[in-house]
Amino acid sequence: MDPFLTSVLSNIGLFSFLALSAWLLLIGGEISFGQQAYFAIGAYASGIASAVWGWPFAVALALGTALGAGIGALVAWPAARLSGVHYAIATLAFAELTRASLNVFRYQRDIDGYLTGPDGANGFRDIRWVYEAGIAPGTYLAIIATLLLLVIVLIWLAARLNVMAQLRMVGEDPILAGMQGIRVLRWKIGAAAAAGGVAGLGGALFAHMATYVEPAQFSVMTGVHAVAYGLIGGLGTAIGPLLGVLIDVGLLESLRSLAAYRMIVFGGLVAIILILRPRGILDETLVTKVRSWARR
Amino acid sequence: MLEIRDIKTSYGKIAALKGVSLDIHDGGLTCLLGPNGAGKTTLIWTIAGILKAQGGSMKIEGENILGLKPHQIVSKGIVTVPENRLVFPDMSVRDNLIAGAFSRRKEKGGVEGDLEDVLTRFPRLRERSEQLAGTLSGGEQQMLAVGRALMAKPKILLMDEPSTGLAPIIVEEIFEIIGGLRDEGRTIFLVEQNAHMALKYANRFYLLEQGKVTFSGEPGAVDHDEVIQRAYLGARKAS
Amino acid sequence: MLDLVQNTLDGIAAGSAYALLAIGFTLIFGVMRRLNIAFGPSIMVGIFLGAWVHVQWSAGLIEAALATFIGALLASIYIERLSFAAIRGDAALASMASSFALWMQLEQGVSLAFPGRTTAFPTLPPLPDIQIAGLFLGGDDLLVLLSAGLVLLVLHRLIYHSHFGLEMRALADSAEAAAVSRININRVAFLTFCLAALVGAVAGLLIAATDGQITPKFGLWATMKGLIAMMIGGLGSLRGALLGGLVLGIVEAQAQWYLGAAAREIVVYGLLFLCLIVLPGGIAGVRDTGAERKL
Ligand SMILES: Nc1ncnc2c1ncn2[C@@H]1O[C@H](COP(=O)(O)OP(=O)(O)OP(=O)(O)O)[C@@H](O)[C@H]1O
Ligand SMILES: [Mg+2]
Repeated sequence: MDPFLTSVLSNIGLFSFLALSAWLLLIGGEISFGQQAYFAIGAYASGIASAVWGWPFAVALALGTALGAGIGALVAWPAARLSGVHYAIATLAFAELTRASLNVFRYQRDIDGYLTGPDGANGFRDIRWVYEAGIAPGTYLAIIATLLLLVIVLIWLAARLNVMAQLRMVGEDPILAGMQGIRVLRWKIGAAAAAGGVAGLGGALFAHMATYVEPAQFSVMTGVHAVAYGLIGGLGTAIGPLLGVLIDVGLLESLRSLAAYRMIVFGGLVAIILILRPRGILDETLVTKVRSWARR
Repeated sequence: MLEIRDIKTSYGKIAALKGVSLDIHDGGLTCLLGPNGAGKTTLIWTIAGILKAQGGSMKIEGENILGLKPHQIVSKGIVTVPENRLVFPDMSVRDNLIAGAFSRRKEKGGVEGDLEDVLTRFPRLRERSEQLAGTLSGGEQQMLAVGRALMAKPKILLMDEPSTGLAPIIVEEIFEIIGGLRDEGRTIFLVEQNAHMALKYANRFYLLEQGKVTFSGEPGAVDHDEVIQRAYLGARKAS
Repeated sequence: MLDLVQNTLDGIAAGSAYALLAIGFTLIFGVMRRLNIAFGPSIMVGIFLGAWVHVQWSAGLIEAALATFIGALLASIYIERLSFAAIRGDAALASMASSFALWMQLEQGVSLAFPGRTTAFPTLPPLPDIQIAGLFLGGDDLLVLLSAGLVLLVLHRLIYHSHFGLEMRALADSAEAAAVSRININRVAFLTFCLAALVGAVAGLLIAATDGQITPKFGLWATMKGLIAMMIGGLGSLRGALLGGLVLGIVEAQAQWYLGAAAREIVVYGLLFLCLIVLPGGIAGVRDTGAERKL
């Protein structure tokens, strides 16, 4: 495959993890400006595991995912009692705290004569497992796509088992949800754990593709983008956030001639979409219509 | 069936319920009347486990349920139709109804059948079953909320002012539904300000004023005009 | 001990500018119940217009200040029209996402117009520094403090002693109640946006003129400082915004002095996180029910 296309598609895949992560929380009724923190945690943890400790790639991915989920739940445990702006800013504070801590986090070991590991603000280079294993970019893209598909299938399964419906109820009206016998706090913490896990997995994949990560990559801007993807694409289904990513990365990569005006075009486009469809392109109204049509 | 004794609930320093006692008997419509700000909604929310009572006791069939979490209250069979926040607006009517049955997940099956029953009971909901609940009219949302509560197979149905904000003709319709449920032998606890309508259907009523039950009795045995006046306006100083 | 007092003094000077940013946020959030995260970037447009008249016509501080106000006002109106007025009232999330989209636009627009890493901004006139008992207060800092105080006084009069202020407070309390009492919600919301822009522009102007140079990253910086100060102080209260700004300034100055720049960030964000969990009402202790509403 064309290397340019491969890299664009890989980027779309990686951002999709982040967008899905923010979307899960949006469904649960909260905005998180801080999902980039779990992306970073996944990236660093899996990078350390494979590059410094020499663990196999799959185990490193699992570690990134698990750590993302665990820390997500741990942060949500106090934060889920907040809501609205408070929750949004609390998540942002945690993410910036994570980034600022990575700026001073040093953990380097001598691996084959090279100092390897995170080096504070200088970043973390030589996460080379994928290259040393001789995995081609095309193959790696397939790995990303497969794992992304796995996440989407899991979400779809959750929807079949009414899990998503209960999360949506918590998101729409936590008190009314409580009156239906739903354990609201548990759902909120559960959603945060799932979202942390998805972001952690994405971060782990990102680190192994880029081979180099640095704290500055996980800034507020990244987190706000992740939220915006879901809001543009629509909150009705898990396809929404992917559509958001596709519009941003895909459309604008293809308009290379407009590269200098990229954000101006994208910003204007998004503003217009949101005026016409305030709950995103694939909103609940559309999804409900399609469902009822499919049921006939 | 439900025995409430000396319940006290406050918002910070403001005492909203100052020791409320009442009984909800099996099979019948118990009505709680009272003017604005009497504490009716506070009582419902306390029973539902959303607000914490500072004192008193609450028993269902002899079992203490004070201090339980909302989901535990629901699992005891006490289901609420709250005031103002009736439906999940961005979910379809059908999904709203199914949501009512989540609390009895353990006993599988039957949900489809119950859904069919509710849709038969409320034909207007059937016509709109694929519509988003937020697009329904006020009366339809009230019906949907009742239907969703029925999906939970409640032992006791708590309803908070189902008539607020509805046109008189719709209010009649809602009360006919409530009367129908009562005639099926269900246990209903209805909070109302519309004492005129409530007294027509109630088996027993209580009057709540400023956080206290000040009067109780059976309709027919009391002076309706007096009750109606106090339910709307609160006690007069002169009386 | 002297260090501690000196840092506090420095912190108050920086914090008074943060307080103005926080007040801008609070005004908008109070009235709209929606977050305008492009507030910082709209001020950024203002100071760049100021820098432009400075570079283009070698204008002085007064002209640059005027241009800053006009720029911030125009950018704010642009955001208000597209992200707030045009989006229906119950879609607060859409407004927030839309203001983010416009932020991206504004930032890139300014970066294109001013390709350099930094752009010069006219500096404050040289002022005598003050030195008492070993403490030092720069003339710039004093001017910042005085201007911020003046803005606060004017704002206070406007909000608590004018008809417009009454309408604004009514709208902040309840949009429904304000509408039925014949308040023109759209007009009040629009004017509040303009007011916030002017308050923010004062902060931007003071900061830019003290530094003598500006970058497009000012937008992100101002949004972050304003948001943090607002949340630390307590969402929805002007007193809270003022307190939050000062506390943020002082904490930053102390942490910078005793722990260094890298630790300063950790301290500030750690404090913010703890503050939100332990004191959701902020240090001003506001119980603003609207803030807990869904965004
Ligand atoms: N969140 C709250 N914080 C403080 N006080 C409250 C709160 N909610 C209710 N109250 C007060 O508690 C008292 C009882 O309120 P409640 O809502 O239970 O009245 P109600 O009988 O349901 O009135 P209505 O007929 O208007 O629905 C009132 O005085 C009210 O002001
Ligand atoms: Mg009430």
